[in-house]
Amino acid sequence: MTERIKSLLERTFEKEQKKFRRDVDWRPLLERFVADGIGDEARARIGLEEMLKAETPAFMEGERLAFLRTVREIPELHSEEEMDARRAQGVAFGEKGVVFNLTADFGPTVRDGLDARLAEMESRLAKCRAEDDAEGMEFIENAILSVRAVLDLVERYRLAAEEKGLSEIAATLAQVPRKGARTFHEALQSLRILHCAMWCEGEYHCGLGRIDQYLYPYYEGDVKAGRLTDETALEELEEFFIACNRDSDLYIGVQQGDNGQSVMLGGVTRDGKPAFNALSRLCLKACGELKLVDPKINLRVDKTTPLEVYELGTELTAKGLGFPQYANDDVVIPALQRWGYELEDARDYSVAACWEFLVPGCGMDINNIDAVSFVGALDAALRNLTRGRGDAETISYEDVEAEFLAEIQRRADALVVKYGHVEILPGPFVSVMSAGCIENARDICKGAKYNNFGIHGTGIAVAVDSLASVRELVFEKKLVSLSELVKLLDTDFAGRPDVLAAAKAAPKMGNADPRADETAKRVIDFWGHAFDGRRNDRGGVFRPGTGSAMYYIWHARDVPASADGRLKGEPLSANWAPALDVPVKGPVSVVRSFTEPDLGLVCNGGPLTIEMHDSAFLMPDGVEKVAQLVKFFIGRGGHQMQINTINRETLLDAQKHPERHRHLIVRVWGWSGYFIELDKPFQDQIIKRVEL
Amino acid sequence: MKGRIFEIREFTLHDGPGVRTTVFFKGCNLRCAWCHNPEGQSFEAETMTRANGEKIVCGEDWTADALADELLRNADIMAQSGGGVTFSGGEPLAQAEFLMELIPRLKRMGVHLAIETSGYASSQAYRSVVTQVDFVYQDVKLLDSDAFRRWTGGELDVVLANVAWLRGNGVPFAFRVPCIPGVNDSAADREAFVDFADGAKVEFLAYNKAAGAKYPMLGRTYPCPPMSS
Repeated sequence: MTERIKSLLERTFEKEQKKFRRDVDWRPLLERFVADGIGDEARARIGLEEMLKAETPAFMEGERLAFLRTVREIPELHSEEEMDARRAQGVAFGEKGVVFNLTADFGPTVRDGLDARLAEMESRLAKCRAEDDAEGMEFIENAILSVRAVLDLVERYRLAAEEKGLSEIAATLAQVPRKGARTFHEALQSLRILHCAMWCEGEYHCGLGRIDQYLYPYYEGDVKAGRLTDETALEELEEFFIACNRDSDLYIGVQQGDNGQSVMLGGVTRDGKPAFNALSRLCLKACGELKLVDPKINLRVDKTTPLEVYELGTELTAKGLGFPQYANDDVVIPALQRWGYELEDARDYSVAACWEFLVPGCGMDINNIDAVSFVGALDAALRNLTRGRGDAETISYEDVEAEFLAEIQRRADALVVKYGHVEILPGPFVSVMSAGCIENARDICKGAKYNNFGIHGTGIAVAVDSLASVRELVFEKKLVSLSELVKLLDTDFAGRPDVLAAAKAAPKMGNADPRADETAKRVIDFWGHAFDGRRNDRGGVFRPGTGSAMYYIWHARDVPASADGRLKGEPLSANWAPALDVPVKGPVSVVRSFTEPDLGLVCNGGPLTIEMHDSAFLMPDGVEKVAQLVKFFIGRGGHQMQINTINRETLLDAQKHPERHRHLIVRVWGWSGYFIELDKPFQDQIIKRVEL
Repeated sequence: MKGRIFEIREFTLHDGPGVRTTVFFKGCNLRCAWCHNPEGQSFEAETMTRANGEKIVCGEDWTADALADELLRNADIMAQSGGGVTFSGGEPLAQAEFLMELIPRLKRMGVHLAIETSGYASSQAYRSVVTQVDFVYQDVKLLDSDAFRRWTGGELDVVLANVAWLRGNGVPFAFRVPCIPGVNDSAADREAFVDFADGAKVEFLAYNKAAGAKYPMLGRTYPCPPMSS
């Protein structure tokens, strides 16, 4: 790492950038919007214009890539009353209602420049006028003004740079993002601004996508021309990655660090050729040197991927970064095709903020619109079965499983109704960077090529373990009746320590025990088909997944104890992972259990999440062994995997002495964050995960 | 016949190449004062009680067929990674007959086999097993007979005879020295071990600070005075 980068890294970590920030009171703007009844598209455009006008060009000493946020808050464009009124009329929104959790198609605009988009829009506007397409005109006019607002700020940055004698930055900004990037440096500068502008428009969880693909031509061109070496390219990338950590505390998320700056490396090209390249390598190397939480690295692999690539990834795992998260092309691409994605698009997949698979630039998927609580469904099923039935003893285990699956189906059906009519608030600027929006003269919020909704499945392992426990305790050992067991769940097994002990000792997922794993297979088969034939009114499908997002904390609050021996208040495991604190034989058995089901059915995403004790990497071949484990997971048809490298003692110490562990990174649910910045329930849940 | 095993640990990282499972054989004829697996010393089954009252049974009897089946559940990842099974303990050679039943069942599936031994075994047991494995981790604890007797309760000559045979036998091996503060960890000791290895690989293992942790669970006291403070 060069001295310049080291200095930028330290100062960014110490948040020197905060000194440039100020607050802006956006309330008058919102009041004006409400009073004047301004339309959604105009609000989005005016919001961006006002936000960017309020920005002051600022530079950190030593940087070559410009742009940092100086205004803390983004304008609210709609009042709560307005949103509630729309909801009352039967409109559903995903989270805040705006475009979010999406990766724009940065490549073409980095390549062509915003002037090219303006020219396209001018000619499209003429066509709209000719066709008397008012909706199209409104979109194009707002989009043009949005692009101009971005270019105005860039021009102010250029002048400020010139004034400060930062001639290199000034020269770069004279080219990009107005015109197409000619060099790797210009491409990174262009990307930095385009990405930041999305956040300023109000989008959040803005992914970066396949940077090793769309930036590769600049890297290759520069190297061939002798302008760039791997060392200088590494420095450029490191500066860009540091910049991703500069404004991230201003980004919206449930927890600090949950900001969706995902990068996807490797995989295959749109025409199916291996895509892992020299730039992919440099990206991994840069992350390994910087040891920051952003960007969040994902790595696409398949059964032909050489061990060496897994080892490069595992080097980051060994450093405790919590990434890369691996995705399996052999499983994900066919799964996306099954949901209607064209082969070329499916091959181009990346992930949203966490693990939800998406295709950058051509999707308006809301891939985390809601979740089904599997533990909640089982609890409801047990109560349905036993309520008011004196003859509960005639119930068989098969009845229990059938009622559980029926409850899952009822909950899935309810979500289909709940999200029957979803509206998304417009984003004219992001639309400019999304395929087809200019051509169709419609904002991306009106729909893109893909308009699917993703549904998480929370606590699957806890539900499966609970089923295994019900079978063993009630139907095989006959330790308790089903009705008695349900009562015990309400009292945390009060007075029956024997039942609690038996519940904890019952078969668990993670031990390659067919008594649990066969049940998991049936549950995943069912869940994978729960939305078959259902469509939302945007024409999209519902994609079930194995992710939990933050619901592993939230859903746990809604249920009493569960039959696997989990007591009330104890959280669920995150994503697709063994229940907390269960004894497992080891990581190989965990991988075996969690790859038994057909994971291609549940490819909304949701990784096998395992925690490796940090001592695994004390031996020099620890990296190779863990890499072999990931390769094994992929070979067995796993869809997605992430590995935390932790040490429970360190985490406990970090709770006591946070100041000593400021750099301690953990994988939370689908992203890496600083442990000490997490709320305590999220910290505690990680401490209770099974250490392997 | 059956073998008595006190632990089967998956994904062990210090016991040889690739992804491995280590089998811990119960019972040992030495009593090294620093032993960190005291539950591996007695040949009888025992119960360990954790501080929270939880009981762990140590010592389960396995037939060679059943144990081979259990270990070969992971044959796929062993094959993928060039890994296999490591026999440890306790002292695996104290159950050499059982090992000789188990080994062919594993070799048939092509898994890499390693053994971790004190070398405190009859030359017949030692030779019959060692010729059947792919790698030997040969412990060397002390090079002086009196000190060896004092700290381990065994006779060094038995070990030295087996080591002498090992050197000439052709099975790849490495020496492993558990470094015990105040016992065998001086610079002179280290030099002596390197001389003893005579060009063979020597791995010096850092003293396990948690070595005494399991003794209270067995109702015993950690007998290693230099470390007990």
